[in-house]
Amino acid sequence: MDERVEVTLNINGEEYQLEIGKRWTLLYVLRDVLNLTGTKYGCGTGDCGACKVLIDGEPVNSCTYLATRAQGKEVITIEGLSKDGRLTPVQQAFVETGAIQCGFCTPGMVITATALLRRNPNPTREEIIAALDNNLCRCTGYVKIIEAIELAARRMRGEA
Amino acid sequence: MAERQYEELKEFEKQLEARGLKYVGRPRPNREAVLKVTGKAVYVDDLRLPNMLHAKLLLSPHAHARIVSIDTSEAEKIRGVRAIVHYFNSPHNVFNSAMRFYGDNSPFDMPETEYIFDEYVRFVGDRVAAVAADDPFIAEEAVKRIKVEYELLPAVFDVDQALAEGAPLANPHGVDGTNICGGWLAYGSHSEEEVLKAIDEADYVFEDTFELSKVHHGYLEPVCHVAYYSPDGKLTIWTSGQNVFCFRSVIAQALGLPHSKVRVIKMIVGGAFGGKLEVLHEPVVGLLSMRTGRPVKLRLTRKEVFLSTRSRHSGKVTVRTGVDKDGRIRGQYIRSLMNTGAYAGSGPNTVGAQSGKTFLLYDAPYMFYRGAAVYTNIPPAGAMRGYGTPQIMLPRETHIDRICREMGWDPVEFRLKNVLRPFQNNCLGQNVHNARIADCIRAGMEAFRWYERRRAAEATHGQRVRRGVGMGLAVHGAGWYPVYQDLTTVTIRLHDDGTAVLLTGTHDLGTGARTILAQIAAEILTIDPDLIEVIEADTDVTPLDLGAQASRTTYIGGNATILAARQLREQLLDEASRMLKVSIDRLELDDGFVVVRDNPSQCVSIADIVASAQRGSTGMPQRELIATATFESRTAIESYAADFCEVEVDTETYQVRVLDFLAVHNSGRVINPLLFEGQVHGGIHMGLGYALSEEMIIDPQTGEVKNPNFKKYRMFKAADMPPSIRVITVEEPEEAGPFGGKSIGECASDGVAGAVVNAVSHALGVELRRVPLTPEYLRSVVEASRRS
Repeated sequence: MDERVEVTLNINGEEYQLEIGKRWTLLYVLRDVLNLTGTKYGCGTGDCGACKVLIDGEPVNSCTYLATRAQGKEVITIEGLSKDGRLTPVQQAFVETGAIQCGFCTPGMVITATALLRRNPNPTREEIIAALDNNLCRCTGYVKIIEAIELAARRMRGEA
Repeated sequence: MAERQYEELKEFEKQLEARGLKYVGRPRPNREAVLKVTGKAVYVDDLRLPNMLHAKLLLSPHAHARIVSIDTSEAEKIRGVRAIVHYFNSPHNVFNSAMRFYGDNSPFDMPETEYIFDEYVRFVGDRVAAVAADDPFIAEEAVKRIKVEYELLPAVFDVDQALAEGAPLANPHGVDGTNICGGWLAYGSHSEEEVLKAIDEADYVFEDTFELSKVHHGYLEPVCHVAYYSPDGKLTIWTSGQNVFCFRSVIAQALGLPHSKVRVIKMIVGGAFGGKLEVLHEPVVGLLSMRTGRPVKLRLTRKEVFLSTRSRHSGKVTVRTGVDKDGRIRGQYIRSLMNTGAYAGSGPNTVGAQSGKTFLLYDAPYMFYRGAAVYTNIPPAGAMRGYGTPQIMLPRETHIDRICREMGWDPVEFRLKNVLRPFQNNCLGQNVHNARIADCIRAGMEAFRWYERRRAAEATHGQRVRRGVGMGLAVHGAGWYPVYQDLTTVTIRLHDDGTAVLLTGTHDLGTGARTILAQIAAEILTIDPDLIEVIEADTDVTPLDLGAQASRTTYIGGNATILAARQLREQLLDEASRMLKVSIDRLELDDGFVVVRDNPSQCVSIADIVASAQRGSTGMPQRELIATATFESRTAIESYAADFCEVEVDTETYQVRVLDFLAVHNSGRVINPLLFEGQVHGGIHMGLGYALSEEMIIDPQTGEVKNPNFKKYRMFKAADMPPSIRVITVEEPEEAGPFGGKSIGECASDGVAGAVVNAVSHALGVELRRVPLTPEYLRSVVEASRRS
């Protein structure tokens, strides 16, 4: 139904040559072509952040991002963050502080937090809250998510 | 459960506590956290079955219509369309999607009003047809090509329209030719006339009517179901649900299958809050799989979630209270109309549940509740965190504050004078057990510096930006006792390496139920909780449970776990006694070993005991160490909350900002403080949205939800949350709860909106009679009050 195109995508450090629909979103390609199901569909309109991935280091809603646009860019999904089964400091802090309940917003939250701390290793509370502007959570009231990001930042700076 | 068994259970708990608790009462992260944080947790939408088809629903564009004809010929021409189902080619078995247990179909409580596809559509978003196709794009295109001829019918959208003389019937199952669903529920301490008379004879009489909005659960995981009807005639449904055994009953009834041929498996749930308690589109997906013989998945878009799932009952609540000069409430009368939408679902039951909470907070000699669910042509309401309770707490708590303003009482002092005390009987003669609401109020008053901050806020009342300080109370139960049966069964099996598996029908919704049950079992078996696997909610594998609802999980599931673990402990001690040739009364479980109390070097590991039992080494029959126990609730136990907040209102923009929130909870002993706090934080988030920003806006002409997306349906973001949120507990144990625990899930949210509305009223000096407190509404109230 949809016109097909060939693309080369770099996802989590691996190259994939794919034939995809021209209008397919990056989210659809990740989940339904590559079976990288850690990235979630929450709203389809870019309002909840459950589908966030890093594109060249920036957190982007993959549900409103055409997969063809990702060519020549480096895409990192939640599956690509931890190496050799070890959690990243952000992931570890989310687990320990109780920032995870239903977990459906978690991959997007972790992606956003990871991008923030790479850009700004010493964020204020206000900067953390501002970074979460495009991530919704219905379980935690964000309290422990903010605590988790603060803890991860301290640890990454070697302070905790 | 026999009384004796219950007493033994409590005696056993006391022995464990005397020994010192190792896992219960300790913080512990959700046991699924690592899976979730790495993106490896498998939700329903992450299932990939061979040859799986994708379904799409055709939803009604009309609020009320008869389906005259459906033409699918154009849709069928698309390559990759495998099945199309609708009213004219599907089974017509009536059901109630909110049924809670088999045989739960009383016309008063659970009227059966739904079909997989009906001849009529009764709200914008009602199901008309469904397509299964090779991929979601084909399914979507096919749905667009289905031609439906409708005969349009008149519709009603709110309770006033629905109850007006000669109103069109939104649903034909109403009582006596009206839109009343199920019937009126009316009861109290005395007759209705006596209560109204007592109120009128009081020194002061107050009456307020509050309008309640329709809000959505806003779970982040959209509704998703997968079905597979296998060649042996078995239908398996994987779903993100809260009540698999009941789903089995409803799905079986809808499709005409025996229960043994339906298996429902709960997957990891991405948030539910009551919104996944009722069967949604599972029967449709099941039907499509039966037609195609292939697995079928349906994942709703966010817009479809808003249009075609469930939401909180909107409605209208009137509270009339008689108060004497000394500040004692003499009588209170509550009249509640809950808008249940197009189908009965849990409408009448929500009315029943809210009626119960009416009597469990204030100590008034005369009280009466009258309420009904009302059919309208809007999306069906259903269970949502609180189940009718916020709709009582919010109107009543704001009404109480108005009484305080008019009589010159401080809101804290008035409430302290009137709330029920521990072990008191309420006006219905029900004992409230260890109800520590007065302690919650006092603790909150101190921690919040109530008087000081009220005065400081009042000092801003001449300014553009004004502050207000308010509070609100809440009560919630744990389970259904004494209204319905309330039981669950837990099985625990010991493996031969000394680890264990716990099988439970309990549902973990991200709330940490699996974590908490493992903590409780670990406390008794002295095995690390991480070494106890918890398998949940699979109708063919786990024992019976009645679902994650009514804040029952910790109470009912926790007690069943104690019973099963205790039986297993007895089996371990018995076998160890034979192995060690020491009498049982000298043995104790300790850190994975049975040890001789007066000679701890003499011991045997759980692994060795299990192996010995399986081999029959001690002369006993060869056997597995396994225990199954059913807990039956015999006590109603209530949790209480006092919520305090400070707000700031800009009197030019009428924007409200919540500056500080304090939640004080009496939930008995807290089993896991980390998860407990998380529940309270989430409850505050939901209550703040209810008070200030969330509403499903129904178009008054068409009945359509006008804001079915997260851009326009405004849930609080991180930046909207109060900069300071505190949770404190009054940890008085409740004897009937597991290790003294009570519920938290719903009580966390029930009182929040009342506290916020009262704080805004305090800031602006006006009476507020609806939620959400949009800037437009606040401006109109303030301007009206200036004019008068």
